[in-house]
Amino acid sequence: MAGNKNSGGNQPNSPQNNFGVSATGGAGSKNGQPKRYIPGMKSLGSTGTETMMQQSGAKMADNRAERPMGALPKGGGKGAMGFNLKGLLDEDDNPLEPMSTGINFGRGANSEALPSFLRQDVRALENKEIVKKYLPAFAVAAKSKNAPESFKRFINYMFGQIGNV
Amino acid sequence: MSEWHSGSLYDNINVFANSLGYENAGIAITLGMIPWESVEDRNAFIETITGDIPKGENFTNYNTQY
Repeated sequence: MAGNKNSGGNQPNSPQNNFGVSATGGAGSKNGQPKRYIPGMKSLGSTGTETMMQQSGAKMADNRAERPMGALPKGGGKGAMGFNLKGLLDEDDNPLEPMSTGINFGRGANSEALPSFLRQDVRALENKEIVKKYLPAFAVAAKSKNAPESFKRFINYMFGQIGNV
Repeated sequence: MSEWHSGSLYDNINVFANSLGYENAGIAITLGMIPWESVEDRNAFIETITGDIPKGENFTNYNTQY
């Protein structure tokens, strides 16, 4: 007989078990990784069977369904630096100065409570610094061939800023 | 004398300054310094943040469907 029924190769008529096979190539399935005997663990002080039992023990925390992505957990969360983070409208440790103080919504004083240097519109000051830094180069660019009128108007506005601020 | 090119640094600054307003010159210049992939990318960004078509003249590459 030129072969027998137990020989290898693709046998599409035989039962195919596709369950428990990860689409990404690992051995995992929706139920997690299968328990596996790890012979090499003996050299690390385990009997091997202990390691196998441990794999069915602790599970990874999964609280994905409890809150939307990116939201802090109720009552605050840990930031990257380990500090407790709270939302603007959460209760905080200082009821006399709520978290939203200085903002024009929520509890506490509005932005009127902020010091003047934080309330001021500083764009004009920022613009002045930028004008001083870049205006010479812009003035040259405004003389380029085909330079649009809108750019020339912008340069004129910046020249005006030097005298006004 | 150099020539004005669409998508150049000064063209970007011109479009941002005219789209965001001269009073926002600081942020307009900063955004103009970004090396945009293309004029279309830059203009799409401006449309996103202003809700309006980019302003400024010499729109040689701008989509005229608007």
